[in-house]
Amino acid sequence: MLSRRLIMGAAIAASAIFGLSAATAQAQGRQRFEYWYGLTGQLGEVMADHCRRFNESQTRYEAVCVGQGGYDRAEQNTIAAYRARQHPTIVQIYDAGTVNFMLSGATYNAVTFARDFNMRINWADYFPGVASYYATSRGEMWSFPYNSSSAVMYWNRQAYRSINRNEAAGSWEQLERDLRSLKAAGHACPMAIDFDTWQWVEQFLAVHNQPIATRDNGYAGLNAELSFNKGLLSTHLNNMKRWFDEGLVRIQTAQTGKTLVQAFADGSCAVTMSSIANHGVVGATQTPGMEWSVAMLPVYEGYTRHNSLVGGASLWVMQGKSRGEYEAAAAFLDWIATPAEVQWMPTVTGYIPITTPAFQQMTAAGFYQQPRFAGRETSITSLTFTPPTNNTRGIRLGNFTSIRAELQSELQAAFTGQKSVQQALDDAASRGNQILRRFEQTMRGRELP
Amino acid sequence: MVERTPFLNILTHLILGAGLVLLLLPLWIVFVASTHDFRTVNTVPMPLWPGSHMVENYVFTWQQSQFGPKMLNSLIMAIGVTLGKIIIASLSAYSIVYFRYRLRMVLFWLIFITLMLPLEVRIVPTYAVAANALRPFQEIINVTRISDLADLLFGIRIVLPEWQLLNSYTGLILPLIATATGTFLYRQFFLTVPEELLEAAKMDGSGPLRFFWDILLPLSKANMAALGTIMFVYSWNQYLWPLLVVTDPSYGTAVMQLQRIVPGPLFGEPPRWHIAMAGTLMVMLPPLLVVVFMQRWFVRGLISQDK
Amino acid sequence: MSGKRVTFKNTWLAVLLIAPQIFLIFTFFYWPAGEALYWAFTLEPPFGGEMQWVGWQNFITVFEDPLYWNSVRRSLIFALCSASIAMGIGLLLALFVDRELPGYRGYRFMYFWPYAVAAPAVGLAFRFIFAPDAGFISAINQWFPDLWNPALDGFDAMILIVVANAWSMVAYNFIFFLAGLQSIPRSLIEAGAMDGAGVLRRMRDIQLPLLAPTVFFLIIINITDSFVNSFGIVDITTGGGPARATDLMVFKIYSDGFKGKDYSLAAAQSIVLMGLVVLLTFFQFRYVERRVHYN
Repeated sequence: MLSRRLIMGAAIAASAIFGLSAATAQAQGRQRFEYWYGLTGQLGEVMADHCRRFNESQTRYEAVCVGQGGYDRAEQNTIAAYRARQHPTIVQIYDAGTVNFMLSGATYNAVTFARDFNMRINWADYFPGVASYYATSRGEMWSFPYNSSSAVMYWNRQAYRSINRNEAAGSWEQLERDLRSLKAAGHACPMAIDFDTWQWVEQFLAVHNQPIATRDNGYAGLNAELSFNKGLLSTHLNNMKRWFDEGLVRIQTAQTGKTLVQAFADGSCAVTMSSIANHGVVGATQTPGMEWSVAMLPVYEGYTRHNSLVGGASLWVMQGKSRGEYEAAAAFLDWIATPAEVQWMPTVTGYIPITTPAFQQMTAAGFYQQPRFAGRETSITSLTFTPPTNNTRGIRLGNFTSIRAELQSELQAAFTGQKSVQQALDDAASRGNQILRRFEQTMRGRELP
Repeated sequence: MVERTPFLNILTHLILGAGLVLLLLPLWIVFVASTHDFRTVNTVPMPLWPGSHMVENYVFTWQQSQFGPKMLNSLIMAIGVTLGKIIIASLSAYSIVYFRYRLRMVLFWLIFITLMLPLEVRIVPTYAVAANALRPFQEIINVTRISDLADLLFGIRIVLPEWQLLNSYTGLILPLIATATGTFLYRQFFLTVPEELLEAAKMDGSGPLRFFWDILLPLSKANMAALGTIMFVYSWNQYLWPLLVVTDPSYGTAVMQLQRIVPGPLFGEPPRWHIAMAGTLMVMLPPLLVVVFMQRWFVRGLISQDK
Repeated sequence: MSGKRVTFKNTWLAVLLIAPQIFLIFTFFYWPAGEALYWAFTLEPPFGGEMQWVGWQNFITVFEDPLYWNSVRRSLIFALCSASIAMGIGLLLALFVDRELPGYRGYRFMYFWPYAVAAPAVGLAFRFIFAPDAGFISAINQWFPDLWNPALDGFDAMILIVVANAWSMVAYNFIFFLAGLQSIPRSLIEAGAMDGAGVLRRMRDIQLPLLAPTVFFLIIINITDSFVNSFGIVDITTGGGPARATDLMVFKIYSDGFKGKDYSLAAAQSIVLMGLVVLLTFFQFRYVERRVHYN
């Protein structure tokens, strides 16, 4: 007695659902490959644009570029897709994902790939500080640097003029004096800080040539241990806490309502430290007429300045795709490494040119004299200040995202008075070490290349 | 109700008014943010009154993000999930409430427990299943050696075809139908239906399907409308699963697109909140219309019989 | 458990009716969940490949971690507070709209809107409203300096996420409460009025008890939802901070598993979370449903 109408309705619904699974469009003769990127918003549009321009520049290959909605998601989705053998050929992965990808056995490492597909890349062109981050402990690069940045100090010239100074502080001691003068001159917020470990911990330690962890910051093996909780960082953070209590630095985060970039751009805070990638953002959102500039991160007296670390993301080629897709991918990677394209990225974003020839061309062409871009060369000076040492090659620690989160939570606890700075650092290091040991155990049998 | 309760009426209006402000204030802020330009929307504090850039923001967002085709995809997905959910949930709840068999409560809890594990946790293996939805059955056939048995007895290897759900409407819809809210709701509702109705129906000689179709379904119109609205909005606002299962932009949904224009915490990301909020409002409009349209149906006291 | 006295006997039909859902939840929930939860007993590398069986190690790691118990505590507080606020306000608004005073249609029309808003927008709007520098709540800080700062004060941060979550659930609860109220026959209420019961009395003695099935349904949904679906709100407003004050269990699972790619730890935590929610739900079925009269 099953109602005929019921059956019919169900059948129609079922066929509608199944029938609508349309096959994707066939390629119109071009060899396609898939590229997943992680950037969103306006930077995501730049990514899509880059792909579009590649497709328009030639007729043989086609890059199908899909935004994944964030770096975390790009990594996660690639892993899920790889497990189901549905992964893309190229994927954009952030710095913290380097270790997972290096240990995965799922990647086609860059040096081998370039050789196998006759790419025109000249590895020596990359800035050493950039290359070392994405290279093995023996210096062989496994991914292609793409969007890179480094950390700089942003300072407000007008505020500095009000304390009769015309240049940014070169040392932390000088910066402290500046902050006190600024406060005395009536500035409510001399410096804006937040709890992001990238510039306040990682870059800080690098420019002072101090390690974050043993075993060359993890490059030499998975049995590295965190070592940041003793020594300079402890002294420095105690200073920062003191300054916070005295009102010389103020916490500006999205949760307080204004990030430190916003606080700097609208003139409320006179100094901050952030990625050079924000140079364009500050320029676009600053209060009109504000005079500001960037400088290298300050260094404590008695320490020699060293190169800062690179930030951003790189492109990885994955295993398990067809020869045709690899050829297309090689063409794309070759194309974005041409000087013209390496120079295109810094003009539409705040990222830096990653090869020496490109940087030289841009300087010669007067790029850094233009008011909009003036000062950005500081980040490159900082990145290339010295050849990378064992402490300034980069950071290669397992599950670094979680370690960063632990450190961030502990810093929040310290600055809200729940525990002393030293206690917070010790707790962060011990919890971080637990994370490292778990990672080491999970990766038993694998070796860091 | 003809009653004179002026004081209570005023109190009622006050409370309802306060409720309105409470509930709509965040939406107001989203709207205001979408009408300013880049500079104004980033001043802190943002002005509380709308600016003059509404049209240009909306036009820009619509064109830039190609919301048209994406909205259509979202619509197909949401309707598919809604219909699927209503059908499946009512059938399952009916089975659980109106039949007596031993596994009844076990099955109910099996279904119910699906509410208690967040999607994020199981998303990686769910993706693997979506890549080949018949793989679980293939693995079972292999592990239980049924395949070997068939080979032995009939000389055929049972190899199930690959059923790939990625980049398809089916892949967007099917996994979302699999959860339990609807079944739970229908169970609750069926439990409130008077026993007399069933007794009368049985005495009239009607079987289970007739009872379901002719008596129970019409009674549950209000519930269907409520569930349908909730499910439509829920599936419209899904972003985690579609983002994973769809990589072909032609299958992208509106909320996936919205995710792409919301500024992230990355360095160098200009905080284009005015665009993001314009996009938010546009993406919010269809479910809002559904909610507005449907409320007529399920708050109207459709149980016409008054005892 | 409550059930019908009168039922059908046709077991094969019953199985057929429930089969589609069972098929779906097996394929898209139990199979993947099983795989994901299996990882709780191993150390699963992100990309797959060889993993090792470690038995209870992950669970021991989880239970020995004082911060894990912190997140359990926070989640319980969050669930209870936001569920009671969301249900309380939803019920209040539904009761008053049900009175059908002039203009009720307008209220009803607009109370539904919040449910249609996607999580990123909700979080953003609440950040705008509640951020100490941003101008709305900051007015309070002008009279009482430093009273409100969810970026630095854990208590304030918890209030923020409770309010944000309750806000999105109020509309949901309102819809169901109103539907439930509207299905109470008018004749019952009129009878009460004729007996001399005032509006509030009728609410208490007639409408509320008859709403009991809806209340039960909503308690379960609200509590489950605040355990299982609260990731989005926390991520956008407080990020789990400050100093883990809003580090809910599901947020921790997401941070460990999704961001940190430690699938095994996330799986172990998920089993615990699921166990907790199942326990809570079972408890509610056993002790609360007893008092619900379905007819």
